[in-house]
Amino acid sequence: MDAVRVLRRIGCEVDFPEEQTCCGQPAFNSGYWNDARPVAQRFVRVFRGAEAVVCPSGSCTTMVRVFYPELLTGTNLSDEAKSLGSRVFEFSEFLIKVAGVTDVGASFPHRVTFHDACHGLRELHIKPETRELLRHVRGLELIEMPRSEECCGFGGTFATKFGMISAAMGETKAGNAESCGAEYLASNDPSCLMHIDGILRRRNSQVRTIHLASVLARTESADKGPEVKSHERSAE
Amino acid sequence: MTTPAQEFLRAAAQESADIPRRKAIRHAVDQYDAAVQHGRQQFLDYEGARQKCYEIKWEALNHLDEYLVEFEKNVNARGGHVFWADTAEDARGYIAALATQRGVRTVVKSKSMVTEEIHLTAALEKLGMRVFETDLGEFIVQLRNEPPFHIVTPAMHLTRADIAKLFREKLADAMSSGASSEEPPELVAAARRALRQAFFSAEMGITGANFLIADAGMIAITTNEGNDRLGTAVPRIHVAIAGIEKVVPRLEDLAMLWPVLATAGTGQTIACYNSLIGGPRASGEIDGPEEFHVVLLDNGRTNLLADAEQRDVLHCIRCGSCLNACPVFRTVGGHAYGTTYSGPIGSVLTPHLRGLNEFQHLSYASSLCGACTSACPVKIDLHHHLLHNRRNAVNDADRPWSERAGFKLWKWAMQSARRFAFVGSVGRAAVRGLHRLGLAGTFLDPLRTWTKFRAAPPIPRKSFRAMWRENGSR
Amino acid sequence: MAVVENPGRERVLARIRSALKKPAPRHVCPPSAGPVFAAIPDTLERFQTECVTNSTELILVPDARRAADALGMVIASVTPGEIYSQDAPLLRWMLGGLQTGRAVRWSNGGPPSESSQAAITTAECLVAATGSILIASSAAGRGASVVAPAHIVVASEAQIETDLAAALRRARERKLLEQNSALFLITGSSRTADIEKILVLGAHGPRRVVLILARNLG
Repeated sequence: MDAVRVLRRIGCEVDFPEEQTCCGQPAFNSGYWNDARPVAQRFVRVFRGAEAVVCPSGSCTTMVRVFYPELLTGTNLSDEAKSLGSRVFEFSEFLIKVAGVTDVGASFPHRVTFHDACHGLRELHIKPETRELLRHVRGLELIEMPRSEECCGFGGTFATKFGMISAAMGETKAGNAESCGAEYLASNDPSCLMHIDGILRRRNSQVRTIHLASVLARTESADKGPEVKSHERSAE
Repeated sequence: MTTPAQEFLRAAAQESADIPRRKAIRHAVDQYDAAVQHGRQQFLDYEGARQKCYEIKWEALNHLDEYLVEFEKNVNARGGHVFWADTAEDARGYIAALATQRGVRTVVKSKSMVTEEIHLTAALEKLGMRVFETDLGEFIVQLRNEPPFHIVTPAMHLTRADIAKLFREKLADAMSSGASSEEPPELVAAARRALRQAFFSAEMGITGANFLIADAGMIAITTNEGNDRLGTAVPRIHVAIAGIEKVVPRLEDLAMLWPVLATAGTGQTIACYNSLIGGPRASGEIDGPEEFHVVLLDNGRTNLLADAEQRDVLHCIRCGSCLNACPVFRTVGGHAYGTTYSGPIGSVLTPHLRGLNEFQHLSYASSLCGACTSACPVKIDLHHHLLHNRRNAVNDADRPWSERAGFKLWKWAMQSARRFAFVGSVGRAAVRGLHRLGLAGTFLDPLRTWTKFRAAPPIPRKSFRAMWRENGSR
Repeated sequence: MAVVENPGRERVLARIRSALKKPAPRHVCPPSAGPVFAAIPDTLERFQTECVTNSTELILVPDARRAADALGMVIASVTPGEIYSQDAPLLRWMLGGLQTGRAVRWSNGGPPSESSQAAITTAECLVAATGSILIASSAAGRGASVVAPAHIVVASEAQIETDLAAALRRARERKLLEQNSALFLITGSSRTADIEKILVLGAHGPRRVVLILARNLG
């Protein structure tokens, strides 16, 4: 909801097509392309005609923009998928590149460090956008943690299939966040946050996680409690 | 009998818990990253360099037969012999027969992952020959009876204390009398002393080749230590073995490949020794081997060549940068993979060389972060190929029936918004209910594989859909 | 060696040809805006900088006479023992005029041995971009530039090529590939970082690489 609030605040008309379900990535990433394909085709149909589709997740955005062309090649939705790919945006990308907004009137007086989620960073080339947005948040002190670009270890089913490795990677990330003195670890991918949060809570860490959209949604007037959790990944 | 997949899970769990080992790997990677920053400064346009290397390799691989035939012709013209080895067994057989016929008792070996791949040392030792690894890292792991930990830095998992202890046990004669020293220069000096004898008594020197130069009929070998130099100067027979994919069209290609290999491999501008060897000693030369043999190895590479989607995997110059970039490698290290080639390149390559069914698990043991693809100096689409291997595994190999069924169910649920919302609310209610009944973490708890290692995410009462309907649509 | 049967050759080639019937995708990038490597306006200066980085001891002298003096000093700094030298007219002349007080073994008598404390050679060319020295096997063999713990090279500034591309072109033009079984590009001291990634100089090759560079060797 925070993403919706921010978009409205900057003057966008936001719609949530209730027919939507999922972009298909879980099946696709596990190699079940034949199962992912009809789900992807449905997605293309649901968002037909949208001027812009905004997603608070770099991994879902990547699925549509980077992988739909390959997944849907040879189908009758192939061209439409490519066109949709140019109209789907990760949340920070949309604000900076499409809306042209760097200051959304946010206030969040805390020490914040940012985890660069892998899909957003390496598939969509998003990094300066997130920092630009955070720099304009009143009272926010941005601290770069060591190795902010290193994977947190979520990786979809990897997190449970190879839990030991995933947790060890998460521990490394958590340790880096703690070492830089941040109060909050922010990111633009809910899956990363869910995983890192799970690790931090297990370690009884002082660091809390928060989605970038939630940071940007905070204003001086609203003084809610700190925890704003992610819901179903595709549904935000 | 454990399968490779089961063994990997066991080894990865063990290594993930080994904090001192992980610290050693972390240290090595930090050093490497700092050095690479430095090495990259020689390039005005490193992306341009990567693209040029990609093009050289693309050209070579997509005309592979022509360039290999040209290479062979030129090597033969210079007095060398080329043997084409279909399989690992053919390669071992040729080298073993040659060594036996020539009365070889001692072999000095330069670093070569291909020799690991075909288990050459064991084959020669079975015939009663002594085989000495001469690259320091390989020498160390040979003394420990273990495989290399990394394709460029074989002993990166060991501390100086580990190595000093090893040398005191196995190289007592070569250690100086200040035998308590663990300082790296002392250890290097001891290794040098120990191996000198081998270099000067060996009848055969075996090397790999970083590149095979088609138009020159020469092989190119890169080292920093100079062990390859000694191994190809003193013994009377030189055998070089390389994968067929190592061929490049022109001598001039090295002007781009040598610096890129060095920068990606170790962060240097260029390695200390870059040698071009084109045959046995020429007439009039005062030293050098009497015989020169090049063994070209297939061993499954033509399978990969035939997979046009993944043909670029054969661009690999074995620099090791994908290993260093990979957060999984950084966590579990090279031994856990249980394969000759570890890290991202190993995960992508091994199914093609040794079978998809048995080695698909390595392609799944990745978070698909893409750091490998960003690091690769010859632009191999590594992480996307992990996805391709997964797709191939689902289509052509065995996957657990529960997984297949699970995704059929998932597909059903995702085809309708009502079903999606229903499954979501049922799932949330079930987990909340189970936890309230104190059944969290039991076999009934669908979150147990998650909560084994992390706190469960708080399960929201309302879905986004519900919140939107209530007050979001204004 | 008797010709070995190699049926693998035809099998491998057949598989390659069959595989290549399917075309592979090719990334096409817009051509780079500029050169991959930075231009090198002053090759001597760049060569000097690179030598510092790779631990080549560089001694600049104006002419052959001073080069000979420098060679004498370098030899005096080497551990006592025999010196090995390439049998080249320039080196015969230089060593002939020096009182080294050491045994000198010449390359026409065979390769160096473990008792050689230093080996002296000329070079085919030098590379500014990397601070490298190109040595040919026909000059003094393969062992000369690697066996002894000190390798001393005598060369002139005219031999400096800008970069690797220029050096490889030069090697082709001068038919070095045809005239030699091997060519060695040497860049500084033998080294290893296999122990804890800590750099140690002097692994199997020479710990010391000394280059006496004369403005003119006429």
